Amino acid sequence: MRRRARRGALAATALALSVSVAGCGIAPDPADAELSDEDVTLTMTWWGADARHQSTLDAIKLFEEEHPTIHVEPTYADWGGYWDRLATTAAAGDMPDVVQFDQLYLSSYAGRGALLDLDAVPEFLDASSLPDNVLASGEVDGSLYAVPIGVAGNGVVVNTSLFEKYDVPVPDTDTWTWEEFDAAAQAITEASGGKVRGLSPFGADSFSLEVFARQQGDQIFDDEGDVAIDPATVAAYWQRELDWIESGAAPDAASLSEKAGVPLDQGDTVVGNTAMAFIAAGQFTAIAAAAPDFEYEVADWPADADTPEGFQYPKPSMYWAASSQSEHPAEAALLIDFLVNDPQVARAFGTDRGIPASEAFQEALEPTLDEPAKKLLDFTKLVGERSGDAPPITPNGASEIETMLSRYNQQIQFGQLSPQEAAAGFIEELQSAVDAAG
Amino acid sequence: MSAIGELRTLRRDGRGGLTADQKQALAKERRRDSKAAAVFLAPWLLGLVGITIGPMVASLYLAFTDYNLLQDPNFTGLENIQRMLGDERLGKSLLATLTYVVVSVPIQLAVALGLALLLDRGIRGLALYRSVLYLPSLLGASVAIAVLWRLVFGREGLVNAFLGLFGIQGPAWVAEPDTALGTLIVLHVWTFGAPMVIFLAGLRQIPRQYYDAASTDGANKWQQLRKITLPLLSPIIFFNLVLGLIGSFQSFTQAFIVSNGSGGPADSTLFFSLYLYQEGFAGFRMGYASALAWLLLIIIGAFTALNFWASKYWVFYDD
Repeated sequence: MRRRARRGALAATALALSVSVAGCGIAPDPADAELSDEDVTLTMTWWGADARHQSTLDAIKLFEEEHPTIHVEPTYADWGGYWDRLATTAAAGDMPDVVQFDQLYLSSYAGRGALLDLDAVPEFLDASSLPDNVLASGEVDGSLYAVPIGVAGNGVVVNTSLFEKYDVPVPDTDTWTWEEFDAAAQAITEASGGKVRGLSPFGADSFSLEVFARQQGDQIFDDEGDVAIDPATVAAYWQRELDWIESGAAPDAASLSEKAGVPLDQGDTVVGNTAMAFIAAGQFTAIAAAAPDFEYEVADWPADADTPEGFQYPKPSMYWAASSQSEHPAEAALLIDFLVNDPQVARAFGTDRGIPASEAFQEALEPTLDEPAKKLLDFTKLVGERSGDAPPITPNGASEIETMLSRYNQQIQFGQLSPQEAAAGFIEELQSAVDAAG
Repeated sequence: MSAIGELRTLRRDGRGGLTADQKQALAKERRRDSKAAAVFLAPWLLGLVGITIGPMVASLYLAFTDYNLLQDPNFTGLENIQRMLGDERLGKSLLATLTYVVVSVPIQLAVALGLALLLDRGIRGLALYRSVLYLPSLLGASVAIAVLWRLVFGREGLVNAFLGLFGIQGPAWVAEPDTALGTLIVLHVWTFGAPMVIFLAGLRQIPRQYYDAASTDGANKWQQLRKITLPLLSPIIFFNLVLGLIGSFQSFTQAFIVSNGSGGPADSTLFFSLYLYQEGFAGFRMGYASALAWLLLIIIGAFTALNFWASKYWVFYDD
């Protein structure tokens, strides 16, 4: 008996081993995809806050009414746990059929074969309502793997209530230079006696680094997916932040560290600790909603006379993608098509996922917008006019760029590294992560 | 053996042997017993194999691959081990973890022992005190407490409010690289309840006569503590030390919550298991993370072995 039990245990171990190792099966060929005659259950997942959960559930209901044989089973989470969970479900081979995606992870998943090639299912999904330069940010190696939902530029949010309170004139944000920007920030800090700081600096997110680089005629990644940015550009990016901290225009290092990673409604911008901040403009309406006592404007970055034009670009705030392991690729594509093209969805989502990339959606939305959303729409249109070509998206293996940036940023803030040392370390680490992913 | 089987055995014939029939019946009974045992053991066995041993064996294999969660693993030999040798963050994380273990475990044991000695003097309401002091142990590893810790040790937190009474402006404890690890050590020390309860039980085992005899001989309290209590309690101290070391080497939740999963500020609270988690789940380097997990096992094993070796010199077994 004992021997038999041991043999049984061994077999079970082998089974567990083979199950856990063989996470990836063979994906069905998406080109053969067709709609099932029977009832189909799709799984779908996204990250977000309560308002988004509700509006997405509403959109799902609309879809199910139109396609009574397709049932959609939603799961949703906060950004924090979302990617860990997605990685685990993908490893286990049961990634949800339709997945809300972010630019950071797009290549990492598509490059490893985890996403459905959406070009292979044209009869179910038509994304032609989106502008080409936006659609291009959903492509990996020339194929469309994700459909951008909303777009946003990187803007400066200005708390005009605080400017008014401390009697500091708001500069003309249409034409402002970096000098005027710095002076305004400094004036706020001085007028409030340091109670309110002029600005929340950039320093720890790849979007602001990309826009900063484009202002210097540089970019983070090249078309081959390698790190192309000049160390001097990265060092200058961090040096600018240090200058703000040292001059008192920005909060000190410990305060910034304390606020790093807190939810939006506890951030310095919403609480009113700082009067200006660099944000992915998609957050503008959420900020305005979280702080009803303040008036906010959203403006383009300051630029000097020698700053190249077209440094802005409409960056997809998020995407819809489908799993390559999906048993129902046709239905998954149909759901994405509905989410991207049906005007009812535009009204259900509002601006919660950013200003929709398609013009048809923007038109459907415009009459329903409140004041902050209108400001965001105007800003997005402005960015659209001023924008240049979109930069290459974050390549396979570089999805940790944000955590790397914030780590090096803190080491600079606390004086452990100089901006030059950090820039060299950051670029080397990022490139080796890209190399490791092959 | 089942009760019926036992009865059958008792109903042996008077000559002390078994008939062929009885022998056969007995063997059948034994087989059935074994089957019953297997059935009752199955849930535990399934868990052990499926949740512990299986993944462990799998991770041993993955430690020598480039597994990235999404694609099939390729065998890469010793590449992951090479990578460890040049991994600067691994060094930082080992340093943070070792500092945490070496500082917090002895302090926690000292606090637990001190309180156990106090409580052992038979004060009134002992059960109440014991429960209240044990409470942090139940809460300490929870997410809620870690969140609370952020607030207590924040710039405008309770600690600084208290220091403010004396005109001291404290730093933002959890947000500064120099003090963030310290707040986690304090959190760990605060969960002294479990070792304290074990110490209390141990203290109750020490015969009172020893103290009576010692005080007759003129030994004061301090001498009694050093010559009687500590030697007799040493097996319990050893037990708590080993468990404390193993547990704190694997700390994860506190650092994860207090630093928002980053191990920050500036990697100052990058516990080993947190780094392993980042590599595996955020960096898609599950092969390397598996290798790290085995490194942690080896380190904990080495520390435990060292402890057992050292115990020969200070642990006193009464029997």
